[in-house]
Amino acid sequence: MNIDLSRRSFLRLSGAGVAATSLTAMGFSEAEAAEAAHVRDFKLATMTETRNICTYCSVACGIIMYSKGDLAAGEKAELIHIEGDADHPTNKGTLCPKGAALKDYVKAETRLTHPRIRRPGSDRFEEITWDEAFDKIARAVKDDRDANLIEKNAEGVQVNRLTTTGFLAASATTNETAWATWKVVRSLGLVGFDNQARV
Amino acid sequence: MTKDLQPDPSVIGGVPEAPFAFLPEPVALFTRRAGRFAFLAQTSRLAPYLTFLSDLSELQARLAKSGPAPVIAPEQLARAKAAQMPPVDRASLAADPALDQLLTRLCEGAARITMPEPARLALEAVTHADPGDRTWLLQNALSGEIPADSAAPHLFASAAVQIYLARLAASLDAGNLRKIGTGICPCCGGRPVSSLVTSTPGIESIRYGVCGLCATQWNEVRIHCLACGTNKGLTYRSAETTEATVKAECCRECHSWIKIFYQERNPSLDAVADDVGSIGLDMMMKETDLKRAGLNPYLTGY
Repeated sequence: MNIDLSRRSFLRLSGAGVAATSLTAMGFSEAEAAEAAHVRDFKLATMTETRNICTYCSVACGIIMYSKGDLAAGEKAELIHIEGDADHPTNKGTLCPKGAALKDYVKAETRLTHPRIRRPGSDRFEEITWDEAFDKIARAVKDDRDANLIEKNAEGVQVNRLTTTGFLAASATTNETAWATWKVVRSLGLVGFDNQARV
Repeated sequence: MTKDLQPDPSVIGGVPEAPFAFLPEPVALFTRRAGRFAFLAQTSRLAPYLTFLSDLSELQARLAKSGPAPVIAPEQLARAKAAQMPPVDRASLAADPALDQLLTRLCEGAARITMPEPARLALEAVTHADPGDRTWLLQNALSGEIPADSAAPHLFASAAVQIYLARLAASLDAGNLRKIGTGICPCCGGRPVSSLVTSTPGIESIRYGVCGLCATQWNEVRIHCLACGTNKGLTYRSAETTEATVKAECCRECHSWIKIFYQERNPSLDAVADDVGSIGLDMMMKETDLKRAGLNPYLTGY
Protein backbone atom coordinates (compact mmCIF):
# COMPACT_ATOMS: atom_id res chain seq x y z
CA MET A 1 0.00 0.00 0.00
CA ASN A 2 1.49 3.27 -1.14
CA ILE A 3 0.78 5.81 1.55
CA ASP A 4 0.26 9.36 0.50
CA LEU A 5 2.74 11.73 2.19
CA SER A 6 -0.07 13.97 3.43
CA ARG A 7 -1.54 11.03 5.34
CA ARG A 8 1.57 10.72 7.50
CA SER A 9 0.55 13.22 10.16
CA PHE A 10 -2.93 11.74 10.40
CA LEU A 11 -1.56 8.23 10.75
CA ARG A 12 0.87 9.40 13.44
CA LEU A 13 -1.95 11.08 15.38
CA SER A 14 -4.19 8.02 15.10
CA GLY A 15 -1.47 5.76 16.45
CA ALA A 16 -1.38 3.89 13.14
CA GLY A 17 1.57 3.27 10.86
CA VAL A 18 2.45 -0.40 11.21
CA ALA A 19 0.48 -3.30 9.83
CA ALA A 20 -1.68 -4.74 12.60
CA THR A 21 -4.97 -6.54 13.00
CA SER A 22 -8.07 -4.62 14.08
CA LEU A 23 -7.74 -6.08 17.57
CA THR A 24 -4.12 -5.09 18.04
CA ALA A 25 -4.63 -1.65 16.52
CA MET A 26 -7.58 -1.02 18.82
CA GLY A 27 -5.69 -2.15 21.93
CA PHE A 28 -7.32 -5.56 22.43
CA SER A 29 -4.18 -7.59 21.78
CA GLU A 30 -4.42 -9.35 25.17
CA ALA A 31 -7.81 -10.83 24.30
CA GLU A 32 -6.52 -11.70 20.84
CA ALA A 33 -3.53 -13.52 22.32
CA ALA A 34 -5.77 -15.44 24.74
CA GLU A 35 -7.93 -16.66 21.87
CA ALA A 36 -4.85 -17.58 19.82
CA ALA A 37 -3.51 -19.63 22.73
CA HIS A 38 -6.88 -21.34 23.08
CA VAL A 39 -7.06 -22.52 19.46
CA ARG A 40 -3.37 -23.41 19.15
CA ASP A 41 -3.91 -27.13 19.68
CA PHE A 42 -7.10 -27.35 17.65
CA LYS A 43 -7.11 -29.14 14.33
CA LEU A 44 -9.15 -28.31 11.28
CA ALA A 45 -11.72 -30.94 10.39
CA THR A 46 -12.62 -31.11 6.72
CA MET A 47 -15.99 -31.84 5.20
CA THR A 48 -16.94 -31.98 1.54
CA GLU A 49 -20.38 -31.24 0.18
CA THR A 50 -21.12 -32.84 -3.19
CA ARG A 51 -24.08 -32.21 -5.45
CA ASN A 52 -25.64 -35.22 -7.11
CA ILE A 53 -28.92 -36.59 -8.44
CA CYS A 54 -30.96 -39.15 -6.55
CA THR A 55 -30.54 -42.63 -8.09
CA TYR A 56 -34.10 -43.79 -7.64
CA CYS A 57 -36.41 -42.42 -10.28
CA SER A 58 -36.73 -40.22 -13.30
CA VAL A 59 -37.92 -37.19 -11.30
CA ALA A 60 -34.17 -36.68 -10.75
CA CYS A 61 -34.21 -34.78 -7.45
CA GLY A 62 -31.10 -32.85 -6.50
CA ILE A 63 -29.25 -34.03 -3.42
CA ILE A 64 -26.29 -32.81 -1.38
CA MET A 65 -24.01 -35.50 -0.02
CA TYR A 66 -21.90 -34.63 3.02
CA SER A 67 -18.72 -36.55 3.62
CA LYS A 68 -16.01 -36.33 6.22
CA GLY A 69 -12.53 -35.98 4.79
CA ASP A 70 -11.26 -34.52 1.54
CA LEU A 71 -10.87 -37.07 -1.25
CA ALA A 72 -9.18 -34.55 -3.57
CA ALA A 73 -6.46 -33.93 -0.98
CA GLY A 74 -5.69 -37.64 -0.78
CA GLU A 75 -7.71 -38.24 2.38
CA LYS A 76 -10.29 -40.96 2.78
CA ALA A 77 -13.82 -39.60 2.61
CA GLU A 78 -16.71 -41.08 4.52
CA LEU A 79 -20.31 -40.33 3.62
CA ILE A 80 -22.14 -39.10 6.71
CA HIS A 81 -25.33 -37.43 5.50
CA ILE A 82 -27.51 -36.92 2.43
CA GLU A 83 -30.21 -34.30 2.13
CA GLY A 84 -32.34 -32.67 -0.57
CA ASP A 85 -30.68 -29.83 -2.47
CA ALA A 86 -32.65 -26.69 -1.59
CA ASP A 87 -31.26 -24.93 -4.69
CA HIS A 88 -32.49 -27.62 -7.07
CA PRO A 89 -35.49 -26.47 -9.14
CA THR A 90 -37.10 -29.94 -9.23
CA ASN A 91 -37.37 -30.76 -5.55
CA LYS A 92 -36.32 -27.52 -3.75
CA GLY A 93 -34.76 -29.46 -0.91
CA THR A 94 -37.53 -32.00 -0.49
CA LEU A 95 -37.11 -35.76 -0.84
CA CYS A 96 -39.55 -38.66 -0.94
CA PRO A 97 -39.20 -41.41 1.70
CA LYS A 98 -36.95 -43.43 -0.59
CA GLY A 99 -34.74 -40.44 -1.29
CA ALA A 100 -34.65 -39.51 2.39
CA ALA A 101 -33.25 -42.98 3.13
CA LEU A 102 -30.48 -42.74 0.54
CA LYS A 103 -27.66 -42.87 3.07
CA ASP A 104 -28.90 -46.23 4.33
CA TYR A 105 -28.99 -47.41 0.73
CA VAL A 106 -25.31 -46.45 0.31
CA LYS A 107 -24.33 -47.97 3.66
CA ALA A 108 -26.57 -51.05 3.46
CA GLU A 109 -24.75 -54.28 4.27
CA THR A 110 -26.88 -56.01 1.64
CA ARG A 111 -26.00 -53.47 -1.04
CA LEU A 112 -25.07 -55.15 -4.31
CA THR A 113 -21.49 -54.20 -5.13
CA HIS A 114 -20.46 -57.19 -7.31
CA PRO A 115 -22.29 -59.31 -9.89
CA ARG A 116 -23.71 -62.42 -8.23
CA ILE A 117 -25.32 -65.59 -9.48
CA ARG A 118 -27.64 -68.21 -8.05
CA ARG A 119 -26.88 -71.33 -10.05
CA PRO A 120 -29.57 -73.88 -10.91
CA GLY A 121 -30.27 -76.05 -7.88
CA SER A 122 -28.32 -73.81 -5.52
CA ASP A 123 -29.90 -72.13 -2.49
CA ARG A 124 -27.54 -69.17 -2.35
CA PHE A 125 -25.95 -66.42 -4.43
CA GLU A 126 -22.24 -66.47 -5.15
CA GLU A 127 -19.99 -63.67 -6.42
CA ILE A 128 -18.70 -63.86 -9.96
CA THR A 129 -16.50 -61.55 -12.03
CA TRP A 130 -17.91 -59.05 -14.49
CA ASP A 131 -16.35 -61.06 -17.37
CA GLU A 132 -18.12 -64.20 -16.23
CA ALA A 133 -21.37 -62.33 -15.79
CA PHE A 134 -21.22 -60.75 -19.24
CA ASP A 135 -20.37 -64.09 -20.82
CA LYS A 136 -23.36 -65.73 -19.14
CA ILE A 137 -25.74 -62.93 -20.13
CA ALA A 138 -24.48 -62.94 -23.72
CA ARG A 139 -24.81 -66.72 -23.90
CA ALA A 140 -28.37 -66.68 -22.53
CA VAL A 141 -29.49 -63.86 -24.83
CA LYS A 142 -27.86 -65.50 -27.86
CA ASP A 143 -29.44 -68.90 -27.12
CA ASP A 144 -32.86 -67.36 -26.61
CA ARG A 145 -32.54 -65.27 -29.74
CA ASP A 146 -31.42 -68.23 -31.85
CA ALA A 147 -34.41 -70.22 -30.65
CA ASN A 148 -37.18 -67.64 -30.51
CA LEU A 149 -36.47 -64.69 -32.84
CA ILE A 150 -39.54 -63.90 -34.93
CA GLU A 151 -38.15 -62.81 -38.27
CA LYS A 152 -41.36 -62.33 -40.24
CA ASN A 153 -44.92 -61.54 -39.23
CA ALA A 154 -48.08 -63.19 -40.62
CA GLU A 155 -47.96 -60.96 -43.71
CA GLY A 156 -44.39 -61.99 -44.40
CA VAL A 157 -42.92 -58.58 -43.46
CA GLN A 158 -39.45 -58.61 -41.92
CA VAL A 159 -39.89 -57.65 -38.20
CA ASN A 160 -37.02 -59.31 -36.23
CA ARG A 161 -38.88 -59.39 -32.89
CA LEU A 162 -37.50 -61.04 -29.78
CA THR A 163 -40.43 -61.26 -27.40
CA THR A 164 -39.09 -63.87 -24.98
CA THR A 165 -36.49 -61.61 -23.31
CA GLY A 166 -37.24 -58.37 -21.49
CA PHE A 167 -34.92 -55.56 -20.46
CA LEU A 168 -35.26 -53.16 -17.55
CA ALA A 169 -32.74 -50.29 -17.54
CA ALA A 170 -32.10 -47.75 -14.79
CA SER A 171 -33.82 -44.39 -14.51
CA ALA A 172 -30.99 -42.30 -13.16
CA THR A 173 -28.99 -42.14 -16.33
CA THR A 174 -27.88 -39.40 -18.63
CA ASN A 175 -29.41 -38.91 -22.07
CA GLU A 176 -26.26 -40.41 -23.57
CA THR A 177 -26.54 -43.58 -21.47
CA ALA A 178 -30.21 -43.87 -22.34
CA TRP A 179 -29.38 -43.52 -26.05
CA ALA A 180 -26.70 -46.21 -25.90
CA THR A 181 -29.02 -48.52 -23.93
CA TRP A 182 -31.75 -48.04 -26.53
CA LYS A 183 -29.36 -48.86 -29.40
CA VAL A 184 -28.09 -52.07 -27.78
CA VAL A 185 -31.50 -53.33 -26.71
CA ARG A 186 -33.36 -52.55 -29.93
CA SER A 187 -30.56 -53.95 -32.11
CA LEU A 188 -31.21 -57.33 -30.47
CA GLY A 189 -34.85 -57.05 -31.42
CA LEU A 190 -36.05 -56.80 -27.82
CA VAL A 191 -39.52 -55.31 -27.56
CA GLY A 192 -40.12 -55.71 -23.84
CA PHE A 193 -37.97 -52.76 -22.79
CA ASP A 194 -38.42 -50.08 -20.16
CA ASN A 195 -36.04 -47.39 -19.05
CA GLN A 196 -37.95 -47.20 -15.78
CA ALA A 197 -38.77 -43.65 -16.68
CA ARG A 198 -41.54 -43.40 -14.15
CA VAL A 199 -41.90 -43.36 -10.37
CA MET B 1 -71.40 -23.51 -11.02
CA THR B 2 -70.30 -21.63 -14.09
CA LYS B 3 -67.15 -20.40 -12.33
CA ASP B 4 -64.20 -20.29 -14.68
CA LEU B 5 -61.80 -22.81 -13.16
CA GLN B 6 -58.14 -22.40 -13.95
CA PRO B 7 -55.41 -24.91 -13.16
CA ASP B 8 -53.30 -23.81 -10.20
CA PRO B 9 -50.29 -26.09 -9.68
CA SER B 10 -49.05 -23.93 -6.82
CA VAL B 11 -51.59 -25.39 -4.39
CA ILE B 12 -49.97 -28.82 -4.62
CA GLY B 13 -46.40 -27.49 -4.76
CA GLY B 14 -46.17 -26.27 -1.20
CA VAL B 15 -42.51 -25.25 -1.28
CA PRO B 16 -42.22 -21.48 -1.64
CA GLU B 17 -39.79 -19.79 -4.00
CA ALA B 18 -36.86 -18.32 -2.06
CA PRO B 19 -36.78 -14.51 -2.38
CA PHE B 20 -33.71 -13.29 -4.24
CA ALA B 21 -32.78 -10.67 -1.68
CA PHE B 22 -33.62 -9.34 1.76
CA LEU B 23 -32.93 -5.67 2.38
CA PRO B 24 -31.66 -4.66 5.81
CA GLU B 25 -33.88 -3.00 8.41
CA PRO B 26 -31.11 -0.83 9.87
CA VAL B 27 -32.40 -0.27 13.43
CA ALA B 28 -33.40 -3.90 13.94
CA LEU B 29 -30.18 -5.08 12.30
CA PHE B 30 -27.82 -3.11 14.55
CA THR B 31 -29.92 -3.71 17.68
CA ARG B 32 -29.88 -7.46 17.09
CA ARG B 33 -26.17 -7.35 16.33
CA ALA B 34 -25.45 -5.41 19.54
CA GLY B 35 -27.36 -8.06 21.47
CA ARG B 36 -25.48 -10.86 19.76
CA PHE B 37 -22.09 -9.23 20.47
CA ALA B 38 -23.09 -8.82 24.13
CA PHE B 39 -24.24 -12.44 24.32
CA LEU B 40 -21.03 -13.73 22.77
CA ALA B 41 -19.01 -11.57 25.17
CA GLN B 42 -20.43 -13.52 28.13
CA THR B 43 -18.39 -16.60 27.34
CA SER B 44 -15.62 -15.49 24.98
CA ARG B 45 -11.94 -14.87 25.65
CA LEU B 46 -12.50 -11.97 23.28
CA ALA B 47 -15.00 -10.39 25.69
CA PRO B 48 -13.46 -6.89 25.91
CA TYR B 49 -13.50 -6.47 22.13
CA LEU B 50 -16.98 -7.98 21.74
CA THR B 51 -18.35 -5.69 24.48
CA PHE B 52 -16.84 -2.69 22.72
CA LEU B 53 -18.40 -3.79 19.40
CA SER B 54 -21.74 -4.34 21.16
CA ASP B 55 -21.66 -0.75 22.38
CA LEU B 56 -20.64 0.43 18.92
CA SER B 57 -23.50 -1.52 17.29
CA GLU B 58 -25.93 -0.04 19.80
CA LEU B 59 -24.69 3.40 18.80
CA GLN B 60 -25.18 2.43 15.15
CA ALA B 61 -28.78 1.45 15.94
CA ARG B 62 -29.39 4.84 17.60
CA LEU B 63 -27.87 6.73 14.68
CA ALA B 64 -29.82 4.62 12.17
CA LYS B 65 -33.06 6.19 13.41
CA SER B 66 -31.85 9.76 13.85
CA GLY B 67 -32.02 12.31 11.07
CA PRO B 68 -33.66 11.95 7.67
CA ALA B 69 -33.03 8.67 5.85
CA PRO B 70 -30.76 9.10 2.83
CA VAL B 71 -32.32 8.37 -0.55
CA ILE B 72 -30.96 7.48 -3.96
CA ALA B 73 -31.76 9.93 -6.73
CA PRO B 74 -34.27 8.51 -9.26
CA GLU B 75 -31.90 9.28 -12.14
CA GLN B 76 -29.15 7.21 -10.46
CA LEU B 77 -31.63 4.33 -10.06
CA ALA B 78 -32.61 4.55 -13.73
CA ARG B 79 -28.98 4.74 -14.85
CA ALA B 80 -27.98 1.74 -12.73
CA LYS B 81 -30.93 -0.27 -14.02
CA ALA B 82 -30.11 0.54 -17.65
CA ALA B 83 -26.48 -0.46 -17.15
CA GLN B 84 -27.39 -3.56 -15.06
CA MET B 85 -25.34 -2.18 -12.21
CA PRO B 86 -26.12 -2.18 -8.46
CA PRO B 87 -28.35 0.80 -7.55
CA VAL B 88 -26.02 2.12 -4.84
CA ASP B 89 -22.97 3.84 -6.28
CA ARG B 90 -20.52 3.60 -3.38
CA ALA B 91 -17.69 5.49 -5.07
CA SER B 92 -19.79 8.65 -5.33
CA LEU B 93 -20.60 8.65 -1.61
CA ALA B 94 -17.13 9.55 -0.28
CA ALA B 95 -17.87 13.19 -0.94
CA ASP B 96 -21.45 13.03 0.36
CA PRO B 97 -21.81 15.68 3.13
CA ALA B 98 -24.52 13.61 4.84
CA LEU B 99 -22.12 10.70 5.26
CA ASP B 100 -19.45 13.03 6.60
CA GLN B 101 -21.94 14.41 9.15
CA LEU B 102 -22.88 10.88 10.13
CA LEU B 103 -19.21 10.11 10.79
CA THR B 104 -19.03 13.22 13.00
CA ARG B 105 -22.08 12.09 14.99
CA LEU B 106 -20.67 8.57 15.26
CA CYS B 107 -17.38 9.95 16.64
CA GLU B 108 -19.30 12.05 19.19
CA GLY B 109 -21.32 9.03 20.29
CA ALA B 110 -18.33 6.69 20.32
CA ALA B 111 -16.46 9.04 22.65
CA ARG B 112 -18.79 7.84 25.41
CA ILE B 113 -17.94 4.15 24.84
CA THR B 114 -15.33 2.47 27.04
CA MET B 115 -12.32 1.52 24.95
CA PRO B 116 -8.56 1.01 25.32
CA GLU B 117 -6.12 3.88 24.83
CA PRO B 118 -5.03 2.99 21.25
CA ALA B 119 -8.69 2.91 20.14
CA ARG B 120 -9.37 6.27 21.80
CA LEU B 121 -6.32 7.78 20.13
CA ALA B 122 -7.61 6.61 16.75
CA LEU B 123 -11.10 7.92 17.50
CA GLU B 124 -9.76 11.34 18.44
CA ALA B 125 -7.66 11.43 15.29
CA VAL B 126 -10.74 10.67 13.18
CA THR B 127 -12.79 13.25 15.09
CA HIS B 128 -10.24 15.99 14.39
CA ALA B 129 -9.13 14.82 10.95
CA ASP B 130 -9.10 17.44 8.19
CA PRO B 131 -11.62 17.02 5.34
CA GLY B 132 -9.02 15.41 3.06
CA ASP B 133 -8.16 12.71 5.58
CA ARG B 134 -11.81 12.06 6.36
CA THR B 135 -12.64 11.62 2.69
CA TRP B 136 -9.68 9.25 2.40
CA LEU B 137 -10.97 7.20 5.36
CA LEU B 138 -14.50 7.10 3.96
CA GLN B 139 -13.25 6.20 0.49
CA ASN B 140 -11.36 3.20 1.85
CA ALA B 141 -14.24 2.16 4.08
CA LEU B 142 -16.68 2.45 1.16
CA SER B 143 -14.48 0.41 -1.15
CA GLY B 144 -13.79 -2.22 1.51
CA GLU B 145 -10.06 -1.80 0.91
CA ILE B 146 -8.71 -1.01 4.34
CA PRO B 147 -4.96 -0.30 4.55
CA ALA B 148 -3.22 -2.86 6.77
CA ASP B 149 -1.44 -0.20 8.76
CA SER B 150 -4.45 1.82 9.89
CA ALA B 151 -7.18 -0.61 10.92
CA ALA B 152 -8.28 1.42 13.95
CA PRO B 153 -9.34 4.73 12.36
CA HIS B 154 -10.94 2.83 9.49
CA LEU B 155 -13.00 0.80 11.96
CA PHE B 156 -14.84 3.97 12.98
CA ALA B 157 -15.22 5.19 9.41
CA SER B 158 -16.55 1.75 8.41
CA ALA B 159 -19.08 1.80 11.25
CA ALA B 160 -20.48 5.05 9.85
CA VAL B 161 -20.46 3.67 6.30
CA GLN B 162 -22.38 0.57 7.47
CA ILE B 163 -25.19 2.73 8.87
CA TYR B 164 -25.34 4.94 5.80
CA LEU B 165 -25.34 2.08 3.27
CA ALA B 166 -27.86 0.03 5.26
CA ARG B 167 -30.21 3.02 5.32
CA LEU B 168 -29.73 3.59 1.59
CA ALA B 169 -30.38 -0.10 0.91
CA ALA B 170 -33.49 -0.01 3.10
CA SER B 171 -34.97 2.69 0.86
CA LEU B 172 -34.96 0.33 -2.14
CA ASP B 173 -37.44 -2.28 -3.32
CA ALA B 174 -35.99 -5.79 -2.96
CA GLY B 175 -38.13 -6.94 -5.88
CA ASN B 176 -36.18 -4.68 -8.23
CA LEU B 177 -32.76 -6.11 -7.38
CA ARG B 178 -31.14 -8.36 -9.97
CA LYS B 179 -28.21 -10.71 -9.74
CA ILE B 180 -24.98 -8.96 -10.69
CA GLY B 181 -22.60 -11.88 -10.28
CA THR B 182 -21.57 -14.55 -7.82
CA GLY B 183 -20.31 -13.04 -4.57
CA ILE B 184 -21.34 -9.50 -5.50
CA CYS B 185 -23.97 -7.60 -3.53
CA PRO B 186 -26.89 -6.78 -5.88
CA CYS B 187 -27.57 -3.63 -3.89
CA CYS B 188 -24.16 -1.91 -3.56
CA GLY B 189 -21.74 -4.19 -5.44
CA GLY B 190 -19.88 -4.96 -2.22
CA ARG B 191 -18.23 -8.18 -1.17
CA PRO B 192 -19.86 -10.51 1.35
CA VAL B 193 -18.71 -10.70 4.97
CA SER B 194 -19.90 -14.31 5.20
CA SER B 195 -22.89 -16.37 4.13
CA LEU B 196 -25.81 -17.81 6.08
CA VAL B 197 -27.58 -21.09 5.45
CA THR B 198 -31.01 -20.03 6.59
CA SER B 199 -33.46 -21.81 8.84
CA THR B 200 -36.36 -19.50 7.92
CA PRO B 201 -39.47 -21.69 7.56
CA GLY B 202 -40.18 -22.48 3.92
CA ILE B 203 -36.71 -21.60 2.68
CA GLU B 204 -34.63 -23.83 4.94
CA SER B 205 -31.13 -24.68 3.73
CA ILE B 206 -31.07 -21.85 1.18
CA ARG B 207 -27.85 -19.86 1.37
CA TYR B 208 -27.70 -16.07 1.49
CA GLY B 209 -24.58 -14.00 1.09
CA VAL B 210 -24.47 -11.05 3.49
CA CYS B 211 -22.93 -7.82 2.21
CA GLY B 212 -20.04 -6.63 4.38
CA LEU B 213 -20.97 -3.04 3.59
CA CYS B 214 -24.75 -2.54 3.27
CA ALA B 215 -25.91 -5.78 4.99
CA THR B 216 -28.22 -6.77 2.14
CA GLN B 217 -28.68 -10.54 1.99
CA TRP B 218 -28.93 -12.22 -1.39
CA ASN B 219 -29.42 -15.75 -2.57
CA GLU B 220 -26.30 -17.64 -3.54
CA VAL B 221 -26.41 -21.22 -4.74
CA ARG B 222 -24.59 -23.42 -2.24
CA ILE B 223 -21.26 -25.11 -2.93
CA HIS B 224 -20.04 -22.19 -5.01
CA CYS B 225 -17.03 -20.08 -4.04
CA LEU B 226 -18.21 -16.55 -3.24
CA ALA B 227 -14.82 -15.16 -4.22
CA CYS B 228 -14.46 -16.65 -7.72
CA GLY B 229 -17.77 -18.37 -8.45
CA THR B 230 -16.40 -21.85 -9.11
CA ASN B 231 -18.11 -25.01 -7.84
CA LYS B 232 -14.99 -27.13 -8.20
CA GLY B 233 -12.93 -28.44 -5.33
CA LEU B 234 -14.70 -26.73 -2.44
CA THR B 235 -14.16 -28.04 1.06
CA TYR B 236 -15.60 -26.99 4.40
CA ARG B 237 -13.22 -26.73 7.30
CA SER B 238 -14.08 -26.21 10.91
CA ALA B 239 -12.40 -26.36 14.27
CA GLU B 240 -12.11 -29.93 15.55
CA THR B 241 -15.59 -31.16 14.58
CA THR B 242 -17.49 -31.34 11.29
CA GLU B 243 -20.67 -30.61 13.27
CA ALA B 244 -19.67 -26.95 13.66
CA THR B 245 -22.14 -24.09 13.14
CA VAL B 246 -19.45 -22.07 11.37
CA LYS B 247 -17.20 -23.41 8.66
CA ALA B 248 -14.61 -22.03 6.30
CA GLU B 249 -15.73 -22.57 2.71
CA CYS B 250 -12.36 -23.14 1.05
CA CYS B 251 -11.69 -22.83 -2.65
CA ARG B 252 -8.83 -24.62 -4.39
CA GLU B 253 -9.29 -22.61 -7.57
CA CYS B 254 -8.71 -19.10 -6.18
CA HIS B 255 -7.04 -20.07 -2.88
CA SER B 256 -9.40 -18.14 -0.67
CA TRP B 257 -11.97 -18.95 1.97
CA ILE B 258 -15.06 -17.37 3.47
CA LYS B 259 -17.16 -18.26 6.48
CA ILE B 260 -20.49 -20.00 6.15
CA PHE B 261 -22.89 -20.07 9.11
CA TYR B 262 -25.51 -22.78 9.54
CA GLN B 263 -28.53 -21.08 11.06
CA GLU B 264 -30.38 -24.42 11.01
CA ARG B 265 -28.12 -25.34 13.92
CA ASN B 266 -28.42 -21.95 15.59
CA PRO B 267 -30.87 -19.32 14.28
CA SER B 268 -29.26 -16.54 16.37
CA LEU B 269 -26.07 -16.48 14.30
CA ASP B 270 -25.24 -13.01 12.99
CA ALA B 271 -23.13 -12.62 9.87
CA VAL B 272 -20.90 -9.95 11.43
CA ALA B 273 -21.00 -10.56 15.21
CA ASP B 274 -20.40 -14.28 14.91
CA ASP B 275 -17.71 -13.61 12.32
CA VAL B 276 -15.79 -11.74 15.02
CA GLY B 277 -16.84 -14.24 17.67
CA SER B 278 -15.40 -17.13 15.64
CA ILE B 279 -12.02 -15.42 15.18
CA GLY B 280 -10.43 -18.69 16.34
CA LEU B 281 -11.26 -20.15 12.94
CA ASP B 282 -9.53 -17.18 11.27
CA MET B 283 -6.46 -17.84 13.40
CA MET B 284 -6.44 -21.48 12.33
CA MET B 285 -7.04 -20.65 8.68
CA LYS B 286 -4.18 -18.14 8.78
CA GLU B 287 -1.86 -21.14 9.13
CA THR B 288 -3.04 -22.49 5.75
CA ASP B 289 -2.10 -21.15 2.33
CA LEU B 290 -5.60 -19.75 1.78
CA LYS B 291 -6.51 -16.10 2.24
CA ARG B 292 -9.64 -14.74 3.82
CA ALA B 293 -12.19 -13.36 1.34
CA GLY B 294 -14.85 -12.18 3.81
CA LEU B 295 -15.02 -8.42 4.21
CA ASN B 296 -15.29 -7.30 7.82
CA PRO B 297 -13.76 -4.01 8.99
CA TYR B 298 -13.74 -5.40 12.56
CA LEU B 299 -11.33 -8.13 11.47
CA THR B 300 -8.84 -6.24 9.32
CA GLY B 301 -5.56 -8.10 9.08
CA TYR B 302 -7.07 -11.59 9.03
